[in-house]
Amino acid sequence: MKPTRLDDNAPAKTVSCLACQVLLSAILLICICSQPAFGKLLLDVDNPNLGKMPIIIPEFSTNQPGPLNGAELASIVKNDLILSGLFEIIEAPQPLPLNQGGEPDLVNLAKTGAQALVMGSFFVNGNQLTVECKLYDIGLQRLELGKRYSGSPADYRYIVHMFDDRLMEKITNLPGCFTTKIAFVDDSKSREIFSMDFDGNNLRQLTNTQTINMSPDWAPDGKGLIFTSYINRNPDLWYVSVDGQRLIPVSNRKGLNASGHFSPDGNLIALSLSVKAIPKIFIINTQSHIIKQLTNGLGNDISPTWSPDGAYVAYVSDQAGSPQIYTVPVNGGDPRRITLSTSYNTDPDWSRRGDLLAFTAKIDGRFQVCVIRPDGSDFRVLTNKGSNQDPSWSPDGRMIAFTSNRDGVKRIFVMDAKGTVQTPVSSIPGRSPAWSPRFK
Amino acid sequence: MHTRHLIIYAAALLLVVALTGGCAKKIVKPNDMPSPGLGMAGQGAIAEGELQGVQASLKPIYFDFDNYTLTPDAQAAIDYNAEVLKRFPTLAVVAEGHCDERGTAEYNLALGERRAGTVVQRLAALGIAGNRMSTVSFGSELPVDPNHNEEAWAKNRRVYVRVSK
Repeated sequence: MKPTRLDDNAPAKTVSCLACQVLLSAILLICICSQPAFGKLLLDVDNPNLGKMPIIIPEFSTNQPGPLNGAELASIVKNDLILSGLFEIIEAPQPLPLNQGGEPDLVNLAKTGAQALVMGSFFVNGNQLTVECKLYDIGLQRLELGKRYSGSPADYRYIVHMFDDRLMEKITNLPGCFTTKIAFVDDSKSREIFSMDFDGNNLRQLTNTQTINMSPDWAPDGKGLIFTSYINRNPDLWYVSVDGQRLIPVSNRKGLNASGHFSPDGNLIALSLSVKAIPKIFIINTQSHIIKQLTNGLGNDISPTWSPDGAYVAYVSDQAGSPQIYTVPVNGGDPRRITLSTSYNTDPDWSRRGDLLAFTAKIDGRFQVCVIRPDGSDFRVLTNKGSNQDPSWSPDGRMIAFTSNRDGVKRIFVMDAKGTVQTPVSSIPGRSPAWSPRFK
Repeated sequence: MHTRHLIIYAAALLLVVALTGGCAKKIVKPNDMPSPGLGMAGQGAIAEGELQGVQASLKPIYFDFDNYTLTPDAQAAIDYNAEVLKRFPTLAVVAEGHCDERGTAEYNLALGERRAGTVVQRLAALGIAGNRMSTVSFGSELPVDPNHNEEAWAKNRRVYVRVSK
């Protein structure tokens, strides 16, 4: 394995203390890393020859054994970092070598080959859980990041994911999205919309319509989703709030009201309507008024997805005889076909970073998740086991959720953007994943 | 010798007539289907049992993979259905489009809609009033045969013509 270079010349950076309140219950965050950083662990994620960073994550320690256990907390960190595709977990030596001050003996730990160490501890006081996490640079022998979180014991997974988001920011310059969720459609006869943490935990059923539901897409504010449903025996577009309490029709025109996708600012929705008989891409506002018809011609047009600046929409059209992916400027201009190499390309999803579109291509009779640049260059196939469909980018543009039947049933998988680590995450069969935005 | 040639010629002619007759496309008139009766064609209410009879007499229309153009068999089925529908002008008609499981759900939704639209278009050309008819696509969501083989897929690529009062 190629070791990852540590950058000693990075500019000095002081971590400021802050306290914040987050979703669900108040989780108090305190930075406990007081020293300024003179160098840092750095992974250049865009480097195509990037090796994985070896990291040690021992059990979180506690002097209060109880229902929560340190091995489980450590396993949340391990799983997050494995799913990112950027880390290799090195088994922690038992017992962990400590120096006289009770701090980890980083000189000794360097012999393991690991470059980084995550040390966690926790205690529960009444109905309050406090978790302290530290990231050490083994090579530079110093503390890089320290955080203390307090919150409800029920939110222990969320608390650890919050630290992992910060860890990822420290190491890759972009916060992780381990605190985000994935919505999907279950595989029962009545296809209900579910949501889960990105790693498959905290499964929640959002709809109970007893009808077919399809194509969920998160509102950019993270407060709800739009989806296609046959509640009124027609494929109409509906909105459901994340708590499942509000269910509102968004577009119920005659014929298709399908594959709705919010614009990045949340003010507009691109969708496929067949009000003029042939399914075409339209843009409506959130009050359901048609703003414009975006595509013309004789092809079936479906599955719109916005560029992150909202200036373009990519979509599927079979105007050339087979389904292919096109882009069209929202404010006028001709569509441009971007997929040329295979005969069946569908389900585009434009990365929030803007650099790539993920889509489904039919290759040798099966479906595979692929990526391509918006200009049609750099076509790459990421999957090869079973049939793989419905890609949806994570909000940091570094991971993709998709549907795979490689284990016999359709299940939601996640992978890194290069496809090196592909892992099933949904505990129930499902399809059509939609990765949430970051929650404010 | 001359007589023998004549006999062979006559036999060949008969064969040709029989073959062309057998191959000619003709619309099978739906004579055995339920009729409104008592000269009340299309007027007034239709009994529930009668509606079910009309529904049962309507033929599914089948399609080729990733295609919404009408095959000769599909055209014949639509022509037959048009004759049935003409006898019951008060019934509302929904063309319900379906696809096989191959392909992606959203694209199949568009394809099913287009198949249904093609059927409605031809029914309209055959004289069925446009304001009686609508379409609904179920994409690949409701296979009639859940198996994963060519036989099942062929059955699942279909448009059902549904009638209601």
